[in-house]
Amino acid sequence: MTSARNRPEWGSNDTHALLNSDIPRVDGPEKVTGRAIYTHDIRLPQMVYARLVVCPYPRAKIKSQSYRKARKVPGVVHGAPFKEVGDSIAFQGADGVVGAIVAETPEAAAAGLCGVKIDYEVLEPVVTPEDALAPGAPVVGRRGNVTGLSSSGDRAEVEAALSECAAVVRGTFRVPVQHHVSLETHGVVVDYRGGNEATVYFSTQGVTGSNREFASHLDLPSENVRVVAHNVGGGFGAKFGGGIEGRIACELALELRRPVHLMLTREDEFLMAGNRSGSEQRVIAGASRDGVFKALAVEADRHGGVGRGALPTPPYIYSVGNTYSEIRSVHTATDSSRAMRAPGHPQASFAMESVLDELAYGINMDPVEFRKKNLADPVYHRQLDRVAKEIGWLEHPHRTQPGVPENALAVGIGFGVAIWGSRSRDITVVDVRIGPDGSVLAATGVQDIGQGARTLVAAIVAEELGLAAHEVSTDIGDSRLPPSVASGGSVTTGSLGPSVKDGAFNARVELAKRIAPMLDAEPEEIRFADHRVFVEGDSGRSVSWKQACASLGKDPLQVSGRFQPHLRDQGIHGAQAAKVEVDLLTGRVTVLKMVSIQDQGLPLNRMAIRSQMNGGMIQALSFALFEERVLDKKTGLMLSGNLENYKIAGCGEMPELVAIIDDEDTREAVMGMAEASNIPGHSAIGNAIYNACGLRLREMPFTPARVLQAKGGMS
Amino acid sequence: MTPDDRSPSEQDELDELSGLSRRSFLKGAGGGVVAGALAGGLAQPSTSEGVVPQEASAPGASTVSLSGRHQIALQVNGEQVLVDVEPQTTLLGALRHHVSPPMTGTKEVCDRGSCGACTVIVDGRPVYSCMQLADDMPGHAIRTIEGIGTPDDLSPVQEEFCRFDGLMCGFCTPGFIVASTACLEKHGAPDVDTIKRELSGNVCRCGTQTHIIRAVQAAGESGVLKGER
Repeated sequence: MTSARNRPEWGSNDTHALLNSDIPRVDGPEKVTGRAIYTHDIRLPQMVYARLVVCPYPRAKIKSQSYRKARKVPGVVHGAPFKEVGDSIAFQGADGVVGAIVAETPEAAAAGLCGVKIDYEVLEPVVTPEDALAPGAPVVGRRGNVTGLSSSGDRAEVEAALSECAAVVRGTFRVPVQHHVSLETHGVVVDYRGGNEATVYFSTQGVTGSNREFASHLDLPSENVRVVAHNVGGGFGAKFGGGIEGRIACELALELRRPVHLMLTREDEFLMAGNRSGSEQRVIAGASRDGVFKALAVEADRHGGVGRGALPTPPYIYSVGNTYSEIRSVHTATDSSRAMRAPGHPQASFAMESVLDELAYGINMDPVEFRKKNLADPVYHRQLDRVAKEIGWLEHPHRTQPGVPENALAVGIGFGVAIWGSRSRDITVVDVRIGPDGSVLAATGVQDIGQGARTLVAAIVAEELGLAAHEVSTDIGDSRLPPSVASGGSVTTGSLGPSVKDGAFNARVELAKRIAPMLDAEPEEIRFADHRVFVEGDSGRSVSWKQACASLGKDPLQVSGRFQPHLRDQGIHGAQAAKVEVDLLTGRVTVLKMVSIQDQGLPLNRMAIRSQMNGGMIQALSFALFEERVLDKKTGLMLSGNLENYKIAGCGEMPELVAIIDDEDTREAVMGMAEASNIPGHSAIGNAIYNACGLRLREMPFTPARVLQAKGGMS
Repeated sequence: MTPDDRSPSEQDELDELSGLSRRSFLKGAGGGVVAGALAGGLAQPSTSEGVVPQEASAPGASTVSLSGRHQIALQVNGEQVLVDVEPQTTLLGALRHHVSPPMTGTKEVCDRGSCGACTVIVDGRPVYSCMQLADDMPGHAIRTIEGIGTPDDLSPVQEEFCRFDGLMCGFCTPGFIVASTACLEKHGAPDVDTIKRELSGNVCRCGTQTHIIRAVQAAGESGVLKGER
């Protein structure tokens, strides 16, 4: 929108010249040709490669250790322990980092690692919640193995309500620990060669302010440390602080006065780079004969290792007459959980959507109708209706009872809904510079972790000035740029978009003031579209974009944009449906189709939003069918610590995906949506399995073994 | 310290340490011995750091032993590239760390043949470069992501990746582009099942797979075949 107002407005969602369309990523060409440089790819003169020495056991004591042979390996420049003989390892992950090897080449560092000899006394591992809760179990955390107990609601009232319900279901729902599996592992390249300044290349979701952490490690003034993250190979919630690897790289750089490249190996990444906490939820739920969700009691454990874990307080999304809940953290000696795309929500969704389904079938009611009956917000009604239509629910043969398969293959459909706050922060400043040569540069410290932040910045500025997105250059991912927000919790769009719009608006208004006399018009009459600057209602009075910029003379036009709260909103919904085929002979589940609908106010870049929705569905499919951290109960060794043992969904598992942008959300404001799209997919798949064949799987992932086990238990 | 300073037993230990686990894994044979058929392609390696290659002692067995840093010649994207490697250096490692300037478009993600991010084309076939020893590569034609289009002159499949948003964070993207290029060169206009099969060795976490499949399909249908542009 280029109409002259005294403050920026997005305008009606259906009147955009560029936004609210499919905008190809401006960094696409760099990325598809391998030219985009990530932290892993940084190469500097005199740079050395560091590898961490990692104890594979969750709990152990160092009986003896020697780095002598490691230091003799040609090319190794440094090798030293961080712990002494007699020291303990208290948990798997950061506390298991017992030393480091630094070498001239990655090969020499790996060889050096082979030369480190450590004898561990392996202690009782405490890697399962059962082990942690057993009488006399070793205490894992400082405050015991059970912490953070909170309860809400009145148990007696719930029990009274349950006694009046027509359908009551009970079940224990187990969600395994899931890994983020960012393809670029965590790590840094610390460029410190002595002196008073340093540059840190950092694979992170939060560039702005991260220089303070590294400055503290390097004992430098924070303004002397620059952090760069021009491209980031995924994060999904695990890449905020610098972590132990960031601290160690700084210490090594301080000691060696050479740039240190320390990227975790894939195995290290699985051991110490965070995870989505698992959970066990013991649920009793009841509904009346006419489909009202009357009562819910939940006892839940968060399995966040030495971390707290995450789980929202029940009831989750739905309205329930009476709810009682008790939630606590059960700690094991394993890596701390971190935020992961909608922390806690997929776990809660699995239990809640599963019992809802069971209640619906328990009273012979269509589970879509049952959901609508217990969701007050009408947005969910239209979204559920839309995905039901798109997945083929209305033609589906069995909608109030599961199918009774006549042959080995059974097809079913299931549903789930989502919720997310999509809040924003008032922090982002965007500098916009227009050069006399017609060049435009937008600069802010935000990072592109794959969500398309760089394209969002370019597109908002381009639309305001009547240009194409690729004609606006961007400078992002640098702590020395004006501040922006860390990318987590779907806050980027809502926090960044308004500041970019404000900067673009200010640039347009300022340029209009300069051009107006040339066109014999008032600044308020000047419009920008299709590479032209013209007077409203008189296209004869116009100049090209280049001519307009040339009139700036020698100096570029420079303005800034700040957060404008009226340009963002918050609070989103979302619904998903899944159609599966269950092979009852082999237990194999194949997802045939998934549908996702998402509201998010003004869809800035429709293609990027569909990609986020696809990503949410694919990650949910992968979580539902394949993903599970496996630790050996006796030793605590990780058995799933690389991609051949921790499978994630690939091209071969891709169903038909339908990503629908909910254009009935006409809010003229922006907000993020990535978390919501990752919440209900696996629940819908679990419900589809039940709808197909009547097998209720209460433990993820839904492997062939679990399907066959459930089938065996049924007969 | 030079190799001569060490006692024989220490030298043996260090040879073991020099990362031969990958060689053992790849070749089923320890001790730094490269089978003759594979070594046949070695361009007379010059020795930059006290090195070997020498005929193994067993008569008739055409094998060479390697240790330490030595130079080999690789044919990468049609050009001969001299590179110093160690016996355990993989093709991936040689490209990313030892070629000058480094070719970092090929990504390291798992470093053990299970993700496809390091895919390159060797003699027309897609291979995991993390599972190839650099010393086995002289004499073979290697194509990397750097040899497939540039930002200003994208190949057809690269254009379609951009058009269909077949990328998000972009870290898996070079591997997918290379595997897709090999798929298109082999099949011309592949159907969806063929694309899924040919790309099943590549992993993406952001969730771009369905867009990638569409992009490859579109590139095939556009009729620009066999990679020569």
